[in-house]
Amino acid sequence: MSETPATFAEGLDARMEPSPYGIQSKKLTMWLFIASDAVTFGAILFGYSYLRVGTSDWPRPFQFSPSILNGLVMTAVLLTSSLTMLGAVSAAKAGRKASSLKWLAVTILLGALFAFLHLREWFHMFAEGWTLAKNPLGGPVMFGATFFSVTGLHLLHVICGVIALIVVGLGFKTSWLDENHVETTGLYWHFVDLVWMFVFPLLYLMNAAR
Amino acid sequence: MTATDADSSPAMKFYVAVWLGLLSIAGVEVFMTYRRFSSGVLLAVLLILAFIEAGLALLYFMHLKYDRPILLWSFVLSIVFVLLMMNQIWPDAYRMVSIGHP
Repeated sequence: MSETPATFAEGLDARMEPSPYGIQSKKLTMWLFIASDAVTFGAILFGYSYLRVGTSDWPRPFQFSPSILNGLVMTAVLLTSSLTMLGAVSAAKAGRKASSLKWLAVTILLGALFAFLHLREWFHMFAEGWTLAKNPLGGPVMFGATFFSVTGLHLLHVICGVIALIVVGLGFKTSWLDENHVETTGLYWHFVDLVWMFVFPLLYLMNAAR
Repeated sequence: MTATDADSSPAMKFYVAVWLGLLSIAGVEVFMTYRRFSSGVLLAVLLILAFIEAGLALLYFMHLKYDRPILLWSFVLSIVFVLLMMNQIWPDAYRMVSIGHP
């Protein structure tokens, strides 16, 4: 009964007909999750856009420095973490486990750095008086509610992703998990990056003081 | 491992090129933000650039270009359909502005 998830999946693959999608079940499951999560983010971004369009004096509180500059650095950090994730997957698929683990470690560090930069910005905003229901500029209060909700949901995904990467990294190191698990987790990580590609322009750049 | 899992991935050099492209687009987005565009034009420009970024990430980082086309069509089209259906909110958003909702 010491069958690992990898050997169990291989056994199933041998007994079942091929997937119409040509991918493993775990990867298909991740795509299903990504599809549902994409719609969740879509709905929350539409909700934000609805309130923004429907509110006549929507605030534009973000100065180029530090807010937009910080957002640009966060974008670069997240994009770089996607690149290092690709390095981890490529190395894992090529059988270079040590190299894959190093790339995974860098990805985890970059994810943690993104979360740190995000939280630092949040606390800076709290210090200025922004909350879910308070606008220190005196305008509509919905800005804080939508900004913290959307970026909070994304930050939650980043934190969960970092935890998942740590677990998968440890599992891959001990051969409890295989390179396909690394690839599937990478898919999730790239999705988190993809969502930020919409959050940054819609939440930061559209609210930049010009 | 299935047939399409057989390593058809491009080399890391290609991924680095895509990564540089994505970084450049993010830079262009910030640059465009400070041009004298109206909010509507700026939104259109930023959304076009965001969709280009998302397309690159989906095709190359998330490997959809190298997986079976059915994966791309079934998932991406269904998501796009749902997101398009959400656009029915706009008339009500403009109604809120017209009645002077705070």
